[in-house]
Amino acid sequence: MKKSIGLFLASLLVSLLCISPAVIAAEKVKIGALFPFSGPLALLGQESFNGATIAADMVNAKGGLWGKKIEWVKGDGVDPKKAMTECERLISVEGIKLIFGTYSSSRSYAASEVAERNKVIYWEQGAIADPITERGFKYLFRTCPRAGQFGIMAVEFAKEVIAPKLGIDPKSMKVAIMFEDSLYGTTVGSSAAQHALKLGMKVVVTDSYSHKTVDLSPVVMRFKAQGPDVIIATSYLEDGLLFWRQAKEANLNVKAFIGTGACHGMPDWAKTFGDEANYIFNIDPAVGINPDALNPKTKAVLKEFQDKFNKKFGHLPATHASLGFVGAQVLFEEVLPKAGKVDPEAIRKAALTVDIPKGGTIFGFGVKFAPPVHPAAGQNLLAHPALMQWVEQQMSVVYPVEFGVKKPLIPLPTWEQRAKGETSFIQ
Amino acid sequence: MVATLVQLIINGLLLGGIYALISIGLTLIFGVVEIINFAHGEFLMLSMYASFWLFQLYGVDPYLSLFMVIPAFFVIGWATQRIIIQPIIHAPPLNQIFATVGVSMVLQNAALFFWKADYRTVRTAYSTLSLKTGGLMISFPRLVAFVLALLIIAALLIFLKQTYTGKAIRALAQEKRAAMLMGIDIYRMYRIAFGIGIACVGAAGAILIPIYYAFPTVGALFVLIAFVVVILGGYNSLVGALIGGLIIGLVEAFSGFFLSPHLKEAVYFVIFIFILLLRPVGLFGRA
Repeated sequence: MKKSIGLFLASLLVSLLCISPAVIAAEKVKIGALFPFSGPLALLGQESFNGATIAADMVNAKGGLWGKKIEWVKGDGVDPKKAMTECERLISVEGIKLIFGTYSSSRSYAASEVAERNKVIYWEQGAIADPITERGFKYLFRTCPRAGQFGIMAVEFAKEVIAPKLGIDPKSMKVAIMFEDSLYGTTVGSSAAQHALKLGMKVVVTDSYSHKTVDLSPVVMRFKAQGPDVIIATSYLEDGLLFWRQAKEANLNVKAFIGTGACHGMPDWAKTFGDEANYIFNIDPAVGINPDALNPKTKAVLKEFQDKFNKKFGHLPATHASLGFVGAQVLFEEVLPKAGKVDPEAIRKAALTVDIPKGGTIFGFGVKFAPPVHPAAGQNLLAHPALMQWVEQQMSVVYPVEFGVKKPLIPLPTWEQRAKGETSFIQ
Repeated sequence: MVATLVQLIINGLLLGGIYALISIGLTLIFGVVEIINFAHGEFLMLSMYASFWLFQLYGVDPYLSLFMVIPAFFVIGWATQRIIIQPIIHAPPLNQIFATVGVSMVLQNAALFFWKADYRTVRTAYSTLSLKTGGLMISFPRLVAFVLALLIIAALLIFLKQTYTGKAIRALAQEKRAAMLMGIDIYRMYRIAFGIGIACVGAAGAILIPIYYAFPTVGALFVLIAFVVVILGGYNSLVGALIGGLIIGLVEAFSGFFLSPHLKEAVYFVIFIFILLLRPVGLFGRA
């Protein structure tokens, strides 16, 4: 008798052990969330994830996917190596078939390798390095723009807006390009240079430098010797600040200065230079686009996202949170319902049919993923950043024109004019 | 073209002045205490913060703050020698290196903890002021840095040549055992030398804050060049540090302009190695 009770209990235990994960799995849609949740990048990693959680909350509030709630299973990608092992763990231990991440390019590059090998979907929402989608991966999708586009947009803006305003032919416009020589600067700077040459502009000087340098007067002097109309710059903070300071010391004047993210998009930039930071352009994914450029449904989504985010986290969502939201929203509302289940093959097929037109995401860009044969396989080909201008410590979107909330102010005042508080903008 | 060349020489000399300014203290500590102070850059960082906060909180002009920063950093240097370096003065060089690397880590992380990774600078009327003469631009704060570097070196040379303490420090640098036999309190001299070395880098920080930015890892940007300058100059010569600094500054200015800004570090390292091949003890070093 005792023996049979023991057997009965043991078999009950075994059956419980076997059934319980299946039961829980049936109730939830489990999605891996791989971000740097600790370490030096934790702040913006967490912020990106926070944005994505709002998209999940919104779907869950409407009853979830296929009647099941979305549940995040977190992996902490402190560094690229840890991102790989965490990705491995999510796949093999947690049984995750869909990983959402990563904000940091180096971590994304490493972890997506693991996902691809295991035929698991890797959904990237915020890492911008071009090479991530240049490996011909089948299970990798990226909703955000690529770094190279920042350089291309700077050149397009110079051609379409600055040249006509100044009344000069884009082909006779003199462009100087500077970039710090790590992967980030090199990607953006060389794509700007290539695009300017393709459009037949005069690229008078292209200079790279180490962002650890303590003297950029050689760059300033080389620029001054060529007298460019436009400078396109990709800088980290310390070198970007140093350049502008030395440009003033040497009285280097240009008609327009276009930064492409990092330094020129940071509040520190404007704080350090005060009025001298005014009228500089910067390119970044922008949350402050003209809401009229969005379709009515997206306009309502933007409002709902901002309200919910503010309620949950106590502040309005900035760029990173918004990137996370867009990535998750496309996934939950366009891809997964079409796929019908969390199955990598089904998700892949569904993702490749997504076709959201311009104005259909809160950044204003549309969504259409490049097929595996494309050189940027898995990239959202419709994603692009926006161009903003600093005025009085505030950045406002000015380009693409239909997204703009303000008109661009051109040309940049000379240092002499700045000292006197004068400007000579062309109307 | 002539104007450009003259401008390049000016830029190079002014940059070299800054390198010399940072290297003076390192040279002194290197030459006398015979410690490779890997925390040198972090003391520079601390003094930049000191001047920044004096300006921010009490409105003290950075150049005026020199009068507070120099004595304060002398005391800090003195205490560092007494508490951290003195107990390991006879330890193998490797242990000494790890001790100073440890100090540098602690200071960097303390700065990160207390003041965050923000970039801090002082905006004064003269921060970006340039003196313009005949189409040439001379940055005022860099000119001040250059002149003060010369003055500090002159003052130190007079101190070392003319005073008893200075002579004792030189004796110590030349022959430690003989100096002890002559009744020189070598530990006291070490403390004074370390104090003066740190006071010099303290001065450098106050002079640099109108030009650069204070952040927890700013020291790393300067310290490698400072080591190059010190070794180039012949590791215990103040005049050598000045000349070494100026050479590196000029090489950077010219190679950055004529070759490419991204090659300038490579070019000065090549020249550095070349000079060391010809003169292994450095330009002003004793064989």
